[in-house]
Amino acid sequence: MNKKIKSSLAIVTAVAVAFGIASVPTASAATKTYTIAYQGPLSGGEASTGIDEQNAVKYAIKLFEAANKNIKVKIVSVDDEGDAGKAGTVAPGVAANKNILGLVGPAYSGATIASLPYYKAAGMALISPSATRVSLTDPTSADFGGPVFHRVVGKDDLQGPALAKYATKGVSNAKVFVFDDQSAYAVPLRGYVEAGLKKVTGATLVGGDSVPKDATDYAPTIAKINQSGATVVIYTGYYSAAAIFIKQLRDTGSKAIFAGGDGVFNQEFPVLAGAAAEGSRVTGVGGLAGVSAKLEADFKKKMGVSSGVYSVEAFDAANLLLSGIKAGKTTRAAMLKYVNAYKGKSITGNTIKFDKNGDISYGLFAGFTSKGGVLVNTGIVK
Amino acid sequence: MFAVLIDQFWSLTIAGVALGFIYVLISLGYTMVYGVLRMINFANSEIFMWGTFGTIITSRDIFHYTQTSEPARGFKLALVLLSSLLMSMLVAGLTAVFVEFVAYRRLRAKGTNRLATLISAIGISIVLSEVMRLLTASRPVGAPRVLEKIILTEIWGANIRLDTIITIIAAAIIFFILERFVKLSRMGKAIRAVSMNEDAAKLMGVNLNRVIATTFLVGGLATGAASFFYVTVFEYTKFNIGFTMGMAAFTAAVLGGIGNIRGAFYGGLTLGLLEVYASAVLGTQWKAVTVFIVLVLVLLFKPNGLFGEAVQTTRA
Repeated sequence: MNKKIKSSLAIVTAVAVAFGIASVPTASAATKTYTIAYQGPLSGGEASTGIDEQNAVKYAIKLFEAANKNIKVKIVSVDDEGDAGKAGTVAPGVAANKNILGLVGPAYSGATIASLPYYKAAGMALISPSATRVSLTDPTSADFGGPVFHRVVGKDDLQGPALAKYATKGVSNAKVFVFDDQSAYAVPLRGYVEAGLKKVTGATLVGGDSVPKDATDYAPTIAKINQSGATVVIYTGYYSAAAIFIKQLRDTGSKAIFAGGDGVFNQEFPVLAGAAAEGSRVTGVGGLAGVSAKLEADFKKKMGVSSGVYSVEAFDAANLLLSGIKAGKTTRAAMLKYVNAYKGKSITGNTIKFDKNGDISYGLFAGFTSKGGVLVNTGIVK
Repeated sequence: MFAVLIDQFWSLTIAGVALGFIYVLISLGYTMVYGVLRMINFANSEIFMWGTFGTIITSRDIFHYTQTSEPARGFKLALVLLSSLLMSMLVAGLTAVFVEFVAYRRLRAKGTNRLATLISAIGISIVLSEVMRLLTASRPVGAPRVLEKIILTEIWGANIRLDTIITIIAAAIIFFILERFVKLSRMGKAIRAVSMNEDAAKLMGVNLNRVIATTFLVGGLATGAASFFYVTVFEYTKFNIGFTMGMAAFTAAVLGGIGNIRGAFYGGLTLGLLEVYASAVLGTQWKAVTVFIVLVLVLLFKPNGLFGEAVQTTRA
């Protein structure tokens, strides 16, 4: 019921986007104004991810405008709630708005697939900070996003084995239980984790489950874990559910190691889970704070909040488009060509260069361990 | 397939009963309103969600518990738990009355059709959830641990934990009090009178508006109590938890026979147990499928639910 209303609201928003942007104020003679867009969940259950990413994009624009006084950059916020259904209703309006030169996002894989037909037709460059589904850059798949889709984040088939390795590190003859949250992100990742486990010596898969991501009662899953005698539990869903789960698991007296992927990688995870999170192992990409404390302090000063998940990726993606604007690529076609041929540095020092399918050449996952209420970086998982 | 069920039967049963009691209390919010107005209070899920913040505000902001502080003991524990419970009930009760006032009363006075109130209820529920989303910046909110989850004893291999026991016993008591209230009190009789025949009740001098507001209040109080137990057991809330819990409680109400207070009781417990057993035997991915197959089967044979009478005819 609720959902239907929301989707009709989304149509209204799409129309508003299409019209609202048509009335972009013309820039004065001295300064020129260009428009880029951000697409991700800005409302609804996944909103915190999108808001964090959008903040990183806004931060990149702030720095860019401070360095280039004669260029103003306008950001169009496109809210797809991280949902494929909604993305399909907002994307046409974005594609129709010719002022938008390129887009950071979409944040989520499912929403990306639903938006792709419109952006492909419009020839608009997309750089996603967080859509990790493998099929997006697989030319044999129907979901293939080339030539418009790019991402500055490692794919799930790199993350799965890294997570399997990190979760079982130092555990002899690990008995592993893997479960997902039924989302389009978590189910394939679970598959890659299970495939990765086969390559870990001594590790055996003793069971699994698939729990809706909005569940709060994990008693049946915990019963299975305790019955299977698992020593390592891997969850491929998101942090808020992970926090609820780990508390319930610890309350039954289980001492099994808990591990999660980049969905769990969020500093709110140990905060929400409290003492129960201690020792949890999480793979993820380090945020701006992981790059340098100075950068994080500046971010906080300018944006008023701390940087969040995928802030490095969103910041890199925005900078890439901004460098295109600076290089005079002020049509969609020129921008797309520029992005495809781009070679430059990420804020992390890695080289950003896309292969012909839109993937970057690196995709390194760091391992984090929860210590005293904070996820502490323990280095790249090798 | 059944190894988990056999091995962990009692742990699962206790978890299912505790979850079931939370459903029972929320479904009272649906069933009370339906019994009297013949309308579904779609905002009840968000009333529940607002109630959860009552508990968190009490323990976190009034008593200054944090994620790292020591759990309370003795008198202090009782004080914090009781004030959290009352605060959640108060918040949810007032929200429910507010919903009645904004979404139902004026429309009812103008004699609009049922669909209009349905839409206004959905509208107010979206407003309630979006306001909370903005207030909490879309983030989940963790509740500090006030009640230490002590394992009291072990029965047939299952741990009996303090929080689950408190939930089961206290929820049963609250349910009992509310049921007695509707059955025996003067206001309860007025509620049932309105439920039987609105016009006749009016002619007998029953103040319709007050009765309906009270119905919402009572439903809200029950829902608020559920919010408290939810936070105490799961130590977590978020602006969007209402949808899932509300959906489950609504299902429980229909399963038991919507409009029937006892139906809510049996429906809630049946659903709680069914969910954990189905998850354990078939895998959690089959939970919703199993629950709704059972619901459809029950409705095929008993179209009004297991106990398909309305509030009016509820008897001891």
